[in-house]
Amino acid sequence: MTSIDLPDYKRQSSDVASRFEELKNRPVKLEVKNLQKIFQSKQGPVQALKDINFKTHRREFLSVIGPSGCGKSTLIRILAGLEIPTSGDVLLEGTAVKGPGPDRGMVFQGYTLFPWLTVKKNVMFGLTIAGNSETKAESEAMQWIELVGLKKFADSYPSQLSGGMKQRVAIARALANQPRVLLMDEPFGALDAQTRAHMQSYLLEIWRNIDITIIFITHDLDEAVYLSDRVLVLKANPGEVQEMIEVPVARPRDPDQFLEPEFLATKRHLEHLIHPPSKQQKSPMPITRMTEVGDNVE
Amino acid sequence: MSTRDDKGWFAIREPLSQSKQQILVLLSFLGPILTWCIVSYTPFIWHPDIRLDISAQRQGVSTVFTAGDHLTKSYYQEFEQFIRDENVLILEQQSGKAEAPKNLSKVRRDNIKILRQLTPIATKQGWLPKDEKIPDEDLIALWEAIATKPGGFEKLNALTDENITVIENNWNLLNRHYQETGSLKMVSVPLQKLVPQGVPVNPVYLPAPHEVLQKGWYEFTKKPENDKPSMWSRLRHSVRIVFTGFLLSCLVGVPLGILCGTYDFFSKLFEPFIDFFRYLPAPSFSTLLVAIFLAHDAPKIALVFVGTFFQLVLVVSKTTTLLDKSLLEAALTLGAKPKSLMTRVIVPGILPNLYNDLRILLGWSWTWLVIAELIGVKSGLTEFIETQGRWRNFDSVFPVIFTIGFIGFFTDQILAQLRGLFFPWTGEKVSFILRKWIDFYHWLTGGRVNVTNNQHLQGSQ
Repeated sequence: MTSIDLPDYKRQSSDVASRFEELKNRPVKLEVKNLQKIFQSKQGPVQALKDINFKTHRREFLSVIGPSGCGKSTLIRILAGLEIPTSGDVLLEGTAVKGPGPDRGMVFQGYTLFPWLTVKKNVMFGLTIAGNSETKAESEAMQWIELVGLKKFADSYPSQLSGGMKQRVAIARALANQPRVLLMDEPFGALDAQTRAHMQSYLLEIWRNIDITIIFITHDLDEAVYLSDRVLVLKANPGEVQEMIEVPVARPRDPDQFLEPEFLATKRHLEHLIHPPSKQQKSPMPITRMTEVGDNVE
Repeated sequence: MSTRDDKGWFAIREPLSQSKQQILVLLSFLGPILTWCIVSYTPFIWHPDIRLDISAQRQGVSTVFTAGDHLTKSYYQEFEQFIRDENVLILEQQSGKAEAPKNLSKVRRDNIKILRQLTPIATKQGWLPKDEKIPDEDLIALWEAIATKPGGFEKLNALTDENITVIENNWNLLNRHYQETGSLKMVSVPLQKLVPQGVPVNPVYLPAPHEVLQKGWYEFTKKPENDKPSMWSRLRHSVRIVFTGFLLSCLVGVPLGILCGTYDFFSKLFEPFIDFFRYLPAPSFSTLLVAIFLAHDAPKIALVFVGTFFQLVLVVSKTTTLLDKSLLEAALTLGAKPKSLMTRVIVPGILPNLYNDLRILLGWSWTWLVIAELIGVKSGLTEFIETQGRWRNFDSVFPVIFTIGFIGFFTDQILAQLRGLFFPWTGEKVSFILRKWIDFYHWLTGGRVNVTNNQHLQGSQ
């Protein structure tokens, strides 16, 4: 068995280190303080989130990963204002968040486009609610639709689009409100591998060009490392912060970096955090041999 | 004919090919119609009854059958035998072997009746004019003509040999009497009775297709007589009751259903009672409704309302709750206020399903029509069905029943077709014919609207 010697994921090149230095000096966009969420179930109270504390800075790309059931989705729903925390605060630019609002855009895994509206009208939805005139909303919406490359489909209905296109519309719709934070809840989870890779590059491109802070939930380690400045790792039962990792991979990112030592080192570390090796060996599946002795594949 | 990828007629959970589907759709209508035709037009398949062409009056039996009446086959045979037996006795009386009846005026009356039994078959065969009161002299002339067989009556397929013999015998008797008295009437010797004659037919409740068509055409085209409404005004009346009841029910039920589906408050406040109330059979309220709304159409409309309203609220509520909750959440994160969710998300989101619900409930309200029209003062198509049914004129009843069916079916089909047009985003097909009509309409009005069928756009990510 061969193994590659990987550097410590904490070792940062000088470029990366100075980038993080600069990032930490930027104003704080979103701050989470002592957040707790307890659900009441029939079996009694279940602690979904416990003592969550973190900050994101302006134009930061922060990913949240963790094993299933760690409360990632609950966390982002609380940030969006769709769930009310049991205790603790979410501060957006220093102001406590109360309920959902257009200052935090959200992209859901299930697209959630309004099927009765065309692509253009979907993107105009938030703009008209904010009180913009129809013509202003339309011209602004068209800019966002162009940004995600769907100008040709402005008058199509969501049912006529592929999954990737739908998610691009959802992103354009969220961005059209010019939110301060974009919350993304496993947005590419339902897409096939190829489309997902396209969408990741797309998202980085958009993020690079506009003033937006992104909080991105995923269970895909490659995705988290590839996209993020920092990765917040949660652990399950109860959902607690395990570690906040600074990704040592240089920017601008590019799919070739998937094989860089820094990338692999970070990924390996995440792997260890989320699937600790000891636990995997604890319960090997009892499998009885069902082929002839000597009929081996390995 | 069959290609390699042809899955045959019985592939499990696979749609049939277009042509196979069309064949089956055609068959599903043709099948019952063909069965009806076969049963009606092939005497050996069923035909358990005999319809009388010539009837007879039995001695000492008060039940009178007239031509056109249906008898069961076994009773008909008995009936024939009785008359034959009576004829044997009458022959004996004529020849003096048996004692002749004393009451001569009764004999004369009976003789006239026997002469008249020939009228129905004579008019049916065209020997006598239809729809006129036929004087006895003409009848006697007919008897003479048949007995003496001048040209035209050589082939009397319509009459059995047995009856021709009866006619000849009777005519001889009458003629002898004429020679003696100079009058054809007032024969006081009992005449032989015509033996009942008839054709095998289906029971009265299953008229043949052509009879139903003829009668239907007649009923729908005839001028209204006296104060009876025409069939079309009956139809309008029935349609008005169904639609008014249904629309009122929608007017209250749809908003209430949407409220119940949106707010748990309204759901818990109204739905348990509605859920109970819908099990109370609507017809059982008929007398109550008449007491409240008095006569005319009001109680009828109220019955359609009671019959549909409770179902409607529950169905609409269910449809509303089925709307994906994440759409509401998405709207909230886009800045929508909870109050504007109703108009901007919930109502537009459920519309296509609501449309389908209402289509089904419209069909439902048609089923209440008949009961609604029976309560209070009978009216509309139902009054006609009721009256004609009582007279056993089922050939008049069937066209009306079918008319109700056609209206319900076609309204539903048209509404189903329009769905694709109203809700282009559901991706439902707009049928070719409808698209052509719309194109034609826009060509006429000079406008242009794209009614495209949904195509899935793939590739370009």
